[in-house]
Amino acid sequence: MNKKKCNINMVLYELRNINGNLMPHFFGIVFPNMMTMIFSRTIGSQVPAAVRQNAMVSIMLSMMLVIPMSIMFIGYGALYSQEVENEVPLRMHLFGFHERSLLTAKIIAHLIFMTIAFVIYAIFQMFTMDIPKPVFSSVICLMISLYLIGVILLVIAHSIANIFRKFGITFGITMFVYFVLMMLTGMMGISTEQLPKVLQKIALTLPMTYISNDFADFWQGGTYNFMPFIQSFIFLGAVSGIMMMYAQYRDRRVIK
Amino acid sequence: MLLTIKQLQVKYGKQTALQINSPICFEKGERIGVIGSNGAGKTTLVKSILGLTNYEGRIATQLKPEQMAAHMQSNAYVTTMPVKCIMETILNTKIKDNKELQGLIEFFEFEQCLSKRYKALSGGQKQKFTIIMIMMQKAELTFYDEVTSGLDFETRQKLMEKLVEWYQDKDDSLIIVSHYYEELEQLADKILLLDQGKVVAYGKTEELFKTYCGDAIFILENTHTNKNLTDGFRTLQSPNHLIALSCRDKEEEKRLLSLLVDNNVNFKRSNSDIEIMSINARGQFYANARNINSGLQPA
Repeated sequence: MNKKKCNINMVLYELRNINGNLMPHFFGIVFPNMMTMIFSRTIGSQVPAAVRQNAMVSIMLSMMLVIPMSIMFIGYGALYSQEVENEVPLRMHLFGFHERSLLTAKIIAHLIFMTIAFVIYAIFQMFTMDIPKPVFSSVICLMISLYLIGVILLVIAHSIANIFRKFGITFGITMFVYFVLMMLTGMMGISTEQLPKVLQKIALTLPMTYISNDFADFWQGGTYNFMPFIQSFIFLGAVSGIMMMYAQYRDRRVIK
Repeated sequence: MLLTIKQLQVKYGKQTALQINSPICFEKGERIGVIGSNGAGKTTLVKSILGLTNYEGRIATQLKPEQMAAHMQSNAYVTTMPVKCIMETILNTKIKDNKELQGLIEFFEFEQCLSKRYKALSGGQKQKFTIIMIMMQKAELTFYDEVTSGLDFETRQKLMEKLVEWYQDKDDSLIIVSHYYEELEQLADKILLLDQGKVVAYGKTEELFKTYCGDAIFILENTHTNKNLTDGFRTLQSPNHLIALSCRDKEEEKRLLSLLVDNNVNFKRSNSDIEIMSINARGQFYANARNINSGLQPA
């Protein structure tokens, strides 16, 4: 018997698994739509008409960031840590599934679910908010960034669950990190510039900060220096890679 | 040779959970029963071979982890979908297209359970679910770690009957961990007896029986009358409520048999009783250890 590789059945299995859990539905679909509606109503009425559209784009982008953070980080962390606590991944390894295959199937399934959440969000925003039409390159850039952030956050949540092996601890850590990220990246109503210098420096290592603060400026075209944004991706990607390698090293199966 | 264990030591903190000093070889096609009380190191042994725990020493094998199938004491699955979906994913097949899988499902009478979620299955059904998938793995080496623990007597009997029937004409290599001696009598042809992390005895069941019990044993109720009646015959260590008598040859066996029949004593005869064999192997093991410690020759 050979090691089982990621296949369509595994992706469908993971999709069923996500669908059987309410957390990604609430935090990834209901929550961002609800928050966008609330913020757009409260902030929209306070800003002058000349900058209202820009403010709406900013709110929409910030709340759009909530989708990968909720589905790929909190939702996934909660779902997977329960599996780890019950030793479901161990059972799958004993059936010949490699950790890499399991993780790949989980990432693909979550990306599909996240796409559904984005489509629902986009339709909802089209009908409820006055968002100016973006240029194609901005949309592509935004989507690639959101998918990359999603994958990185999922890998981090996966590693946290594998390291701590308990639902309670994993959920506590991911929830704490989620709110810290929201606060640092300007999604809680405090802009990054208002934060203390040290926190500003930390915020600049996170790609979410750039999406939340800068992407509205080139929503309808223009130029942007992507270098700090790319560097933040490299940094967060490296953090997730190191965490995953450590978790995999701890759980390795060795017959010597 | 399937695998050889050499100088294996597993520690949990400062406590040694398992120590195997003399090499132990498992040959292809053998069915090894691993017995021992709680904390004997049975599951630790299984986990070591599967590469799930850290150990010192060497387990020499050509087998890769994915070439071994294991039914662990607890087997968990997601509860967000019916077990049919889990089964089809793990086996990467469709039940309706797979005749062999259909046969196994029918053999274990699992058809009605396929639409249920794992948490809704009974204890016996949960075991069957994992067993079916393990059998479909067709691994070089299969482990059954206390496959019937937690099941009621009837379910245990039925499950064992199914397992025995399934493996009857096959040459699969099995390692069966169990607390139930009668299960091993049915399935195993070799016994590895562990106690407090040490190997007490290892060998073919009949050879171990001969070594520790003789040709045959007679088991009767432990009463004064029976004790007096069988005085002069060699007694073996046995549970308190029983008397176990050993016969070294046919002559002795005939004498004892006629004595018991003439006196209308109920008895059980065996030449493969693993329970009495293990009690006596353990007794001899510790007696030898005591002798070595006090500078005497082992018995």
